[in-house]
Amino acid sequence: MMDGIVYYDPTAAHITNLFKSKLSIQDYDHVKRIHSVDAEPRVPKAPRNFKTPILRRATFGASRLDDPLASSSRRAGDYYRPSYATAENNSDIMADDDRRGGGRGYNNNNRKRRFREEDDSDRRPQRRRYEEPISAKLRRQLLTIAESPMKQPQDEAQEIAKLFAEYYEEGDDKATFLDLMVQILTEQPFKIPFAAAVVLYTNETKPEAAAEIFTRVASKLQSSLDSGNWRDVKLILRFFGCLQVLFEGDGVFPLLDELFDRAVDLQVASQEDTIGLELVKIILFTMPYIIASPAVGFGPRAVELLAKTEAVASNEHALAPLVEIYPGDSDDRPFGYQSIIGMLQKQLQSESEKGWELACIPRLFAPKPKEEETSDEAALTSAKHAFPSITVSSPINPGPKPLFPDAYFSLYADQDTVPKTTDIASSLLRDVLVDTINILDFNRNATAKFLIDMDCYWAPDTFVKRATPFDKLKDIAGDKSTWKPEDMAVDAVFSQIFTLPTPEHKLVYYHSVITESCKIAPAAIAPSLGRAIRFLFRHLDLMDMELGYRFMDWFAHHLSNFEFRWKWTEWLEDIDRSDLHPKKAFIIGALDKEIRLSFAKRIRETLPQPYHHLIPEGKEKDTPDFKYSSDQTPYAPEGRELLTLIRKKAPEEQIQEVIDRIHDQAAEHGISDVLIPSTDAYVTAICFIGSKSLSHVLSCIERCKERLLDIGKASDAARRQVIASVVDYWKDQPGIAVNIVDKLLNYSIVSPMNVVQWALGDHLGAGEALTQSWVYEMVAGTVGKVTNRMRQIADARLERGLSAEQIELIDQHLLKERESMRELFRFIDDAVTGIASGAADGFIERDGEKGFGEEEGKLIKAWGGRWARVFRRKAAVEESIVGEAAMEAKVAALGVQMDVEPEAGPDANGAGTVLDEDIIT
Amino acid sequence: MRPTTRNTVDRLDKPSSYAASKNKKRRFNRDRDHDDEDPYRREKTPDFEDKLKEATTLYVGNLSFYTTEEQIHELFAKCGEIKRLVMGLDRFQKTPCGFCFVEYYTHQDALDCMKYIGGTKLDERIIRTDLDEGFAEGRQYGRGKSGGQVRDEYRDEYDPGRGGYGRALAEDLDHD
Repeated sequence: MMDGIVYYDPTAAHITNLFKSKLSIQDYDHVKRIHSVDAEPRVPKAPRNFKTPILRRATFGASRLDDPLASSSRRAGDYYRPSYATAENNSDIMADDDRRGGGRGYNNNNRKRRFREEDDSDRRPQRRRYEEPISAKLRRQLLTIAESPMKQPQDEAQEIAKLFAEYYEEGDDKATFLDLMVQILTEQPFKIPFAAAVVLYTNETKPEAAAEIFTRVASKLQSSLDSGNWRDVKLILRFFGCLQVLFEGDGVFPLLDELFDRAVDLQVASQEDTIGLELVKIILFTMPYIIASPAVGFGPRAVELLAKTEAVASNEHALAPLVEIYPGDSDDRPFGYQSIIGMLQKQLQSESEKGWELACIPRLFAPKPKEEETSDEAALTSAKHAFPSITVSSPINPGPKPLFPDAYFSLYADQDTVPKTTDIASSLLRDVLVDTINILDFNRNATAKFLIDMDCYWAPDTFVKRATPFDKLKDIAGDKSTWKPEDMAVDAVFSQIFTLPTPEHKLVYYHSVITESCKIAPAAIAPSLGRAIRFLFRHLDLMDMELGYRFMDWFAHHLSNFEFRWKWTEWLEDIDRSDLHPKKAFIIGALDKEIRLSFAKRIRETLPQPYHHLIPEGKEKDTPDFKYSSDQTPYAPEGRELLTLIRKKAPEEQIQEVIDRIHDQAAEHGISDVLIPSTDAYVTAICFIGSKSLSHVLSCIERCKERLLDIGKASDAARRQVIASVVDYWKDQPGIAVNIVDKLLNYSIVSPMNVVQWALGDHLGAGEALTQSWVYEMVAGTVGKVTNRMRQIADARLERGLSAEQIELIDQHLLKERESMRELFRFIDDAVTGIASGAADGFIERDGEKGFGEEEGKLIKAWGGRWARVFRRKAAVEESIVGEAAMEAKVAALGVQMDVEPEAGPDANGAGTVLDEDIIT
Repeated sequence: MRPTTRNTVDRLDKPSSYAASKNKKRRFNRDRDHDDEDPYRREKTPDFEDKLKEATTLYVGNLSFYTTEEQIHELFAKCGEIKRLVMGLDRFQKTPCGFCFVEYYTHQDALDCMKYIGGTKLDERIIRTDLDEGFAEGRQYGRGKSGGQVRDEYRDEYDPGRGGYGRALAEDLDHD
């Protein structure tokens, strides 16, 4: 294969296996269809963990899939029978998992459930023949629309419309299908234009059925609007936009106008408003779908609205500079800040000048062939509907999540593998990809499948063929597209990993989506991923430091899922760099993370020789040495004695006696705070005793808790010594130290301020500490603990139905905690800006020394700047959520809401009306 | 009855069929006395579902015997702070025998772990996660007569991460 592009060994067995399993998926589909068409008696496919398919078959009809008799006939050992025992099998199994949950909506689990439903209504054990009920068929067909490249989606839409009309006639349980219609819009946004096509066709024969769909969807829109669920609002408006032709008058536009008015109100009221921006974004994302729909003549209306939105969309938000991915003004930056909304506004404008081509949106509806010219015209007009009435409340509910300005991120924007940022396709495709990723977090296999199959859901010829190698793109002639679907998918996932301040889901979700995508289509995804990694690594020194850390964490975690394979040889030059260089720091940090997920010897095996010195012997030791074993260490005898005493759980007096001896000697040596050496010995002994595992050290700390707490009360310096001793003992495996310090915070043995003071004070040196990823991990983790707590208190304040006393109590708490949070941020800022400006004492002392020349000084100052940026952002984000102004506004809004709905109980929680389909368990 | 709508694709944060079947069996034994009742009524097992509704603990299976607490911590902490980690030990040798319990502070973290970590690799093995009703002191978990997990007694393929061949099998081999 293409040398220098594929980074996973292309000959690896798992890839070939994957291709095999890919084939079998298709086979399975094929069989499935024949079954349903011919209405053959169906034999349930035994779930994977049943080992006795013969028995299952024999009992089918009389017994049920979940028959306890059948399961009890299994051997005990089968419960735990590994369904995937060897590495070679893994990929097959994962593909199999995908088949079960791969968005097909027709799989083992569903089938099982359907059998149940059907048995409930009709229990004739002798029944052998089975005809798929129309409701099930409808569900299956709607859910799988456009998935198969073998079918024309237009035909599918028509077929479903016909089936629905038939079903509608029968009249039973229409609600199920209507609900499904709503659900597909909000769960599988790729399929919105296709679902809309079904409605367009339905309207041709059964306008009243279409009307019922509108009513149902509109009620969901209303509830989403009321609860501030902006994504659902956007997706449903898109659906209505695709159906514009069915509505009387201006259709969707009046609602868009109203949303715009509300956005203006919000923007005028506050400069920090993000809800207004979100509303405008919704308007802009609806527009192209209206224009691309069968409705004609709405171009001028759109242009008119665009002229109005421009002022809002092109406005730079106050927080925007803080969420830049590549901050600063260096010319080497791969790209500067561009807000998603500003970009979209410009793209729409240029699209309007080009006559609204909107080439990527699929066009699926062809009105009935005009056989009877005259009546057709009449039919079309008679089938128009009034746009459902929707009320936009004022003030608008801001929704459950705080919003921040969105920055557009693209790894490949400068290559031709994805649409240029001037092309509207870049926004439209990204929007659906990101929504899909974030909505389907409950099934990463389904997400991955959507990413791989993305090209099914857009106009034909929008992309090159899947898995076209990068170096073959230049052979593509003329105007043909060079967009690689897998590049767009990878780009979209990374845009989430690199969302500031935080993405919608935990980062590990996005890791898992990449892992699954790689398993499903390694030949397509792996090379794209390789290019992504190179791009990110190349610009590491310009990237926001928090994002650099996320990249490192993902990289190590990703490799741990793929046998730690990476072409390390291509970074050989970078290992000769100073440890202070961001690229070298990345390599060191990534290797440490890899080792934490595995073990040192294993990781060394995966590296070329020149890297080996980065994994010192010490990392291989499960139990680091006890420094007091050597008499070179001061207080060695006492240290050893303490170890024995703690180990055998001796009474506190005996321990105190040894500690006193250390104190006496230290005093003789003129040490002012004698608690420091004694704490060092005490804590080091605890670490050594607990070196076997985390639970060992925790139980030991638990045992010694009282004394540790007392030490803290007596001296702040000794408290920092606790941290210093832990880190020193685990210096070769800092991950364990970070972990232990985290637990010490939980026990309140050390305070958040102690941790930060130690890390950015005692440990800072000339600033080298700032280059160590574990120091960032420790500080960010500590800050995260404080801010989480702060937010919890803020949430408590916003509960409804609090008594005046409770409010007062919480307010006091809020005030106190907020102040200590700010103090923490101030300390961090002072410490790191001192390094950034070169004014810190530690820096000045070392500046100009041997091995600390101009180059080193520059690197360290840059680290200081990067740290400052990250923590200033964190501080600003917290202020926007729990600061006085933010809290005041929220409390006021709460008051208004309570006035509006005085009868709402304390548990209504401001979530608005929740419809049945919102309840998912 | 509470309305539940199934999603358009399956969810990965449901208890496994194993957890469910284990429970059904228990209920079956309990219900066996009144056989005349409609057998299909057994479908609802509210106590089981209720127990897992707020579950913060996960069973983690298919670990290598050599995987350490620290490794598990490193991976599972990606879904939230870990409250407690209990390694499953061989009853006789007191060494890890390939499973553990991870307890989070919140139910949401446990669900996220099901969704994002279950079925991915740790120590180069695909691990299995399942919601668990919680670890109680003295709980005995399905270990066989060898002291380890039952699945390791009858396994007929060689698994270096889990003590080679199944132990029962290995004994037979020894006798030959």
